[in-house]
Parts: sequence; structure tokens; C-alpha cells
Amino acid sequence: MGGGDGRCGPMSDGGRALCDTLFPAVDVLLKAVGDTPIMRTKKWAVERTRTIQGLVDFIKKFLKLMASEQLFIYVNQSFAPSPDQEVGTLYECFGSDGKLVLHYCKTQAWG
Amino acid sequence: MTDDKDVLRDVWFGRIPTCFTLYQDEITEREADPYYLLLPRVSYLTLVTDKVKKHFQKVMKQEEVSEIWFEYEGTPLKWHYPIGLLFDLHASNTALPWSITVHFKNFPEKDLLHCHSKDVIEAHFMACIKEADALKHKSQVINEMQKKDHKQLWMGLQNDKFEQFWAINRKLMEYPPEDNGFRYIPFRIYQATTERPFIQKLFRPIASGGQLHTLGDLLKDVCPSAITPEELNVSNGVSDFINSWLFSVPYITWMASRG
Repeated sequence: MGGGDGRCGPMSDGGRALCDTLFPAVDVLLKAVGDTPIMRTKKWAVERTRTIQGLVDFIKKFLKLMASEQLFIYVNQSFAPSPDQEVGTLYECFGSDGKLVLHYCKTQAWG
Repeated sequence: MTDDKDVLRDVWFGRIPTCFTLYQDEITEREADPYYLLLPRVSYLTLVTDKVKKHFQKVMKQEEVSEIWFEYEGTPLKWHYPIGLLFDLHASNTALPWSITVHFKNFPEKDLLHCHSKDVIEAHFMACIKEADALKHKSQVINEMQKKDHKQLWMGLQNDKFEQFWAINRKLMEYPPEDNGFRYIPFRIYQATTERPFIQKLFRPIASGGQLHTLGDLLKDVCPSAITPEELNVSNGVSDFINSWLFSVPYITWMASRG
């Protein structure tokens, strides 16, 4: 994932580098819920094939949360997508104004 | 929808005869007999296999047992996919009963989600219902329901109670008379022949000219490579590759529109 506007940074998993060309990234805006720490960089370019679990791992690392801590992700402030769901598909179906807004929370917010 | 109740019942009560066998490398105190079960197509593996687990755990030592998982011909079966989808995807062309191998060790972390309790299944099921309603009604119908209605949907599925389930689900299948259908059709297309998990896109039930879209229109639009007569099981009216997302798709609109 790359920070800033629309740029894809290098990915930790080298085998996915090809994904940049085959699957261009989508813009994701991350919003904290409740007293969950706010990310300094909120707007990210995320590869379409990155899963929700992959995003959760990234946010946890960025916020220096422990791996054992829970993190919930919500779309449209209404449902929590499955960990294996791809960001690209969620963007296609639930994105607006060129971005996908995702809320993240350390506790369950919208069930 | 009253004429369609037969179809809804047929879908709900669909069953797959299955034979569960313990993986040969599991350590047992004595020989484990296979276990036979009729699996509901609309349910989830981890929701309906308590008896299978108990049966095999009887011949194993406590310390040899950790989280159960299922496999078919080397492929770990994703419990969070409906059973009918798993069968159609992996075994529809093979003879019945469906032979599933049961494991209690070496959980395949890369392939499967964990399922430590029924709560996990309930959360997943409700998330699917909510995602479908986000597409159908901008979440208005599901959000206007009380918590007890959500619970009734889940209990209906868990306890195999058609009437209990549909008392609530029918509200999720309605739309205002001035509209001609849902905002978008919630669908996912799974194909055994590809690496992609599934195809899911926005698709309106009504074409710009006002006519109802058919299943064929949907496939042509999102998955054109799939429509050859050999791949579509046309005789059923519904493709083997389509998972209609647990009753959230108006089957009847499709059936009627196919003319």
C-alpha cells in the first residue's frame, strides 16, 4: 500500500508486484471510530486484490497495535466484510466519489 | 410471491447426501467409521456438523483434537461459503454421496477462516444479509428491523425453520411499488476455473428502456466468457456457477424474465 495521493508504494510481499500493473490501486479513506487511534495518513492507494485481513494487518502495524488485539472494519457504517473479501470488489460496489470509505474500530461498532 | 413459495421451499430444503471420513493420519484409539449426513444446501458446514465432530472425537484422545476443518480431494472447504455452493463448485459432477474428509490438525491458515464458535457463523451470516441489503435497499430495510428480527433470521437458519426465516426475510425481498425492483441485484458468480474468488459488481434489475434484466443479461454483462451452452446448466434455468447469495436475489424475477 502507498500513502499520499494515488501512488502505489513497494509491497512487502514481492510476488504481488505484478498486481500493480494488472490490478491498479483504488483510493481508500480510513476513518477511526470511537476512541480508536486515528491514523495520521488517512488516504491510501490500495491494490484491488488486497483483502480486508491484509488491510487489518496493515492498520494494526501502522497504529502499533498488538497482533492479538481485535480490529473491525465496516463499509457504509453498516456491515463488516469478510476477512477474505477484496478491496477492489468493495470499491466497485460501495465506492463513491472515486474512493471507498472504511471505518475501523477496536470494538464492534455496527454489529 | 405466493406462487413462488414452492420454489422457495425447494431451495430451502435442498439436501446433499454426504459421507464424512476421518483423515487417515489423524491419531485414533480405534477405527473410525464414516459418518453419513444430509447437508442443507443453504447452511454452513460448521453449523450443521456437531454430530460429525462428536462422532470422530469419540475415537480420539483429547490432546489430538484441535479445530475441525473439512477437505474435499485435497481442497480445504471454506466453511463460510454455503454448502450448496461448495458442492456445486467442487463436486457437482461426481457420484453421490459427496465424500468429505475430516481433519483435527494442521489447520490451513492460508486457505480457511477460523470458526471458534457459532457466534462467528452468525456474525458472518448477518454481515452477508447486511451487505445484500446495502445493495438492494441502501440498508434501509435491515436497519429498520429490530434486533429480535435479525435474531429470528439467524435462528430460522440455525434451526432449519423455513416459516420462521421467511417471516422476516420476505421484508428484505420487497420493494416500494413505485420502483420496479431492488436498487441493485446482490449476486456473486463463482467459477471453478479461475483464481479469482468471485465476481461481484453493481447490476440494476431494470434496463434503461424499462424492461427487466434477465439472468442472461447479467452473465453477458459481468461474465461473458461463461456463457456457452456447455457451461450453463440451462435446463435448471439457473447457472450452476451462480450463488444467489442466500435467497437475497429475487429468483422469481429471473425465472419469469427468462420467458
